[in-house]
Amino acid sequence: MAYQLYRNTTLGNSLQESLDELIQTQQITPQLALQVLLQFDKAINTALANRVRNRVNFRGSLNTYRFCDNVWTFVLNDVEFREVTELVKVDKVKIVACDGKSRNYK
Amino acid sequence: MDQNNSIPAFQGLASPQGAMTPGMPIFSPMMPYGSGLTPQPVQNTNSLSILEEQQRQQQQQQQQAQQANTGLPGTSGQTPQLYHSQTVAGPTTTALPGNTPLYNTPLTPMTPITPATPASESSGIVPQLQNIVSTVNLGCKLDLKTIALRARNAEYNPKRFAAVIMRIREPRTTALIFSSGKMVCTGAKSEEQSRLAARKYARVVQKLGFPAKFLDFKIQNMVGSCDVKFPIRLEGLVLTHQQFSSYEPELFPGLIYRMIKPRIVLLIFVSGKVVLTGAKVRAEIYEAFENIYPILKGFRKTT
Repeated sequence: MAYQLYRNTTLGNSLQESLDELIQTQQITPQLALQVLLQFDKAINTALANRVRNRVNFRGSLNTYRFCDNVWTFVLNDVEFREVTELVKVDKVKIVACDGKSRNYK
Repeated sequence: MDQNNSIPAFQGLASPQGAMTPGMPIFSPMMPYGSGLTPQPVQNTNSLSILEEQQRQQQQQQQQAQQANTGLPGTSGQTPQLYHSQTVAGPTTTALPGNTPLYNTPLTPMTPITPATPASESSGIVPQLQNIVSTVNLGCKLDLKTIALRARNAEYNPKRFAAVIMRIREPRTTALIFSSGKMVCTGAKSEEQSRLAARKYARVVQKLGFPAKFLDFKIQNMVGSCDVKFPIRLEGLVLTHQQFSSYEPELFPGLIYRMIKPRIVLLIFVSGKVVLTGAKVRAEIYEAFENIYPILKGFRKTT
């Protein structure tokens, strides 16, 4: 079972909204929607692990941190995301990080 | 047995026999400087020199006793003299024997003299406190998962350690909070800051809904450090103070000096930097440094 971490992303949220619409119009069952989301979890995890090669550096000041259930949550302020091609500056960023090489999936 | 009461050596003094003469030092002149618990500068703790001093004092007393005993009639010579000189030289003297006092002090009333260290000015260096560890009991059971999920700047990894590790920025400290309600607060630079930080952690826990109290706050350890500003011969120090020192340069570059009174451990480095730890109160750190400073001066590197 892969991390359900990526459901609360732009992509994941769009998927969830679409599935909710289909459930509303009775075109799919909630059970099917759940299966779709589980498949999405597997797909996004393998895609990020295998098909993404680029590297981004970021630097900012740490506002808060939390570590519970093996999940790190950071809130950074005045962050600069730096890639070779471009630079993005943000006032506040929340980072939720799960263990990379995990033995047991959630 | 009248020799017990009438001490012929006091013929020169007008004081009544056996009475305590005011103004005389009331400690025993036979007591060497220190008793080995408080470190003393090398020239005084050399056991040979103390022994010589004791022998010298005993010889003086025996001479005076012999002079006095020549006036006594008919007593068998040696044994009473020995007995006499022993009582005089014992540690429980009520007044100084002999005509020449061992300490050339004027007999002014109530001149207290501290026997321990020779007259030396203070070092002028004050150790700075670097870390205070304290504990407090919040007085109620805590749900660590709730605290870790809702508080900021908290870590909780029960597989590794059974406590929540929380940090605050002012005073910059770290706290270990256990499910029993007990808490350890580390990293403060003063006693007051440690107490304030512990109170802040208790307030965080209280705001999360637990009935936290502030019971039995106690400072468990204080660490201080300072610089004597000259290099030190650690080899020399470990040779003369081997009952207190351990120096293993292949293991650790500092000499570990375990002072007995006060019970403080000092890490002494070649550079002259000194770390003092193990204190429950600030005064112990200061006292330990004042004790070690003259010793370190004696082992100053001259090259």
